[in-house]
Amino acid sequence: MSDVTVDRMEAVLRVRDVRKSFRSGTRTFEILNGVTFDVAAGESLSIRGESGSGKTTLLNIVAGLETADAGGVLWKDLKAHEQSPRALCRWRRDFVGMVFQAYYLIPEMNALENVLFPARLRGGISRTERERAAALLEAVGLSGRMESLPATLSGGERQRVAIARGLMNRPALLLADEPTGNLDERTSAAIMSLLLDVCRGESAALVLVTHSPVYAAQTSRTALLHEGRLE
Amino acid sequence: MPWYIYLALRQIFPRGRLVSPFFLLSVLGVTLGVMILIIVQSVMGGFGQTYRELIVDTNGHLRVETGGVDYRYRETVERLREDPAIRAAAPFAQGVVMLQHRQQPAFPYIRGIEPWSEGKVIPLDDFMIRGSLDDLHDDSILLSSVLARQLRADVGATVDVYTPLMLDQLKEDEVLLPRELRVAGIYETGWNQFDSTTMVATLRLMQDLYAMEGGAHGIAVRVNPGVDEFQVAQRLNEELGPPYRAVTWTQMYEDFLWVLQLEKSVMFFLLLFIVLVAAFAIAISMLLTVLRKTREIGLIGAMGGGARNLAASYCFQGFFIGVCGSIAGTGLALLALRYRDEIVSAFATVTGSRDVLIQFYQFAHLPAHYNPRDFVIIIAAALLLSTAAGFLPAFRAARLKPAEALRHE
Repeated sequence: MSDVTVDRMEAVLRVRDVRKSFRSGTRTFEILNGVTFDVAAGESLSIRGESGSGKTTLLNIVAGLETADAGGVLWKDLKAHEQSPRALCRWRRDFVGMVFQAYYLIPEMNALENVLFPARLRGGISRTERERAAALLEAVGLSGRMESLPATLSGGERQRVAIARGLMNRPALLLADEPTGNLDERTSAAIMSLLLDVCRGESAALVLVTHSPVYAAQTSRTALLHEGRLE
Repeated sequence: MPWYIYLALRQIFPRGRLVSPFFLLSVLGVTLGVMILIIVQSVMGGFGQTYRELIVDTNGHLRVETGGVDYRYRETVERLREDPAIRAAAPFAQGVVMLQHRQQPAFPYIRGIEPWSEGKVIPLDDFMIRGSLDDLHDDSILLSSVLARQLRADVGATVDVYTPLMLDQLKEDEVLLPRELRVAGIYETGWNQFDSTTMVATLRLMQDLYAMEGGAHGIAVRVNPGVDEFQVAQRLNEELGPPYRAVTWTQMYEDFLWVLQLEKSVMFFLLLFIVLVAAFAIAISMLLTVLRKTREIGLIGAMGGGARNLAASYCFQGFFIGVCGSIAGTGLALLALRYRDEIVSAFATVTGSRDVLIQFYQFAHLPAHYNPRDFVIIIAAALLLSTAAGFLPAFRAARLKPAEALRHE
């Protein structure tokens, strides 16, 4: 595990010996069996693994959306695994950005409003937030599509909006779950490059879950989730 | 603007479309409920108000009586007329008689009045449609319009009057001779019940018919504008003492007024079910929205949107539907009430039921009375039920776990 841990002082995210199992009837499936890793600011870690290996479950535990059976998750110095759901929700709003394979844009809002939505969750919207949302959309190459509805955007454009939304609140940690899963090869390459560039520019730590060894290789570090452990 | 209200408004008014069809249908349900409730309550209130005005116009505000024949009524009338709270006082006597004209019999109430003083208490002059109150003498009567039609008697006709005293004459085998009285005028108050069962004579004639020898059954009183007749009645009861008793118009018609109020309350209760059905429609459409948007709800939770605020978003949608439905319903109700006579007239013309309407409802025009209290109760009920309709979807949305919601297919 030495390749997936960093200096304690630099780490934005520290995952320690996380275990998770599911019961199905009388059988128990050990999905995560002592996963440990760190990610520092501006760094990117890719996690590969087969379908059903527990990558999304691990990402959900890191995001505080699911609880681990054992082990701990630290967001900087905050013990996320010890927080109440309400406190975790509040911290997640400020600390974590998320990008999903299926984009999950809100169809009733245009691109700019979707990007601004995380800022609304924190409080009011001022000119500063609007300018940042516009700058993020410009950074992902969508300055001309700010008023466009998700339904009128291509898959690649939707994922760009989702990346901009994930970074809106300047999260210290960005979690991306198969962000290129629904895209063609050319668009996927562009999205990956954009994701890494934007995270570097924002000094956000990136945890990327992907099937693709090609895109995994573009991150600072890479790990394979196999039989519940990171290798 | 808090994010949950912003989200609610975006779901109601999505970008690229004017309004959500779910929202439109939900608002339509509340609108119909509120509109019908306001129309019915206002019309019922109008009937109530018209009846109250008619009761006062045909009885005065108060009646001072002894429970029998009062032979000292003149002193009491003078005393009442000196009271600064009282505008007018007029003695009366009343009873039942049998009328006959062209072989047509009728059994109306006869009211004996002093023509010169009665007009100040009961605006009989305003009700005259033929003839004149000035022509009422001790050998004549005034007939109410429906009664006159029933007897086929017009002004100038002579009618035969039989009184209960004549029964004694019959017992003693005397020859029964009716009093022949001339019809001096015909009046119509607009209250079918009153117009079909009453006639008016002079107090002297009534005293003669009922052998009351200078007595009266009571004194009708009208108080000055702005004076509380209930307080006046209470004071008169203390000042005059037994056997006198001052009775207000509400006491005289207590049962009738209670039935009117009961009818109005029952109508409110029954029609509230329309809003209740609308509330169910809101709950179903919003529950459907929660199901459709499960992954979005999961996303909002993943981004840090709290469950309580998410629930508030759906409750707000219910509340907002209630607000829009109440505004639209109130507006449409006021519009329908504004043109109610035209609408009823068109309806009656199409169905040929105008006469039935008049006979059944006893009014030629549909009355309406806008009671702010009714409006407040109806709108509050609509808002309460609409907001409550949002609770179930709100509860479901709040209970969704983001990770599970995001996996939802």
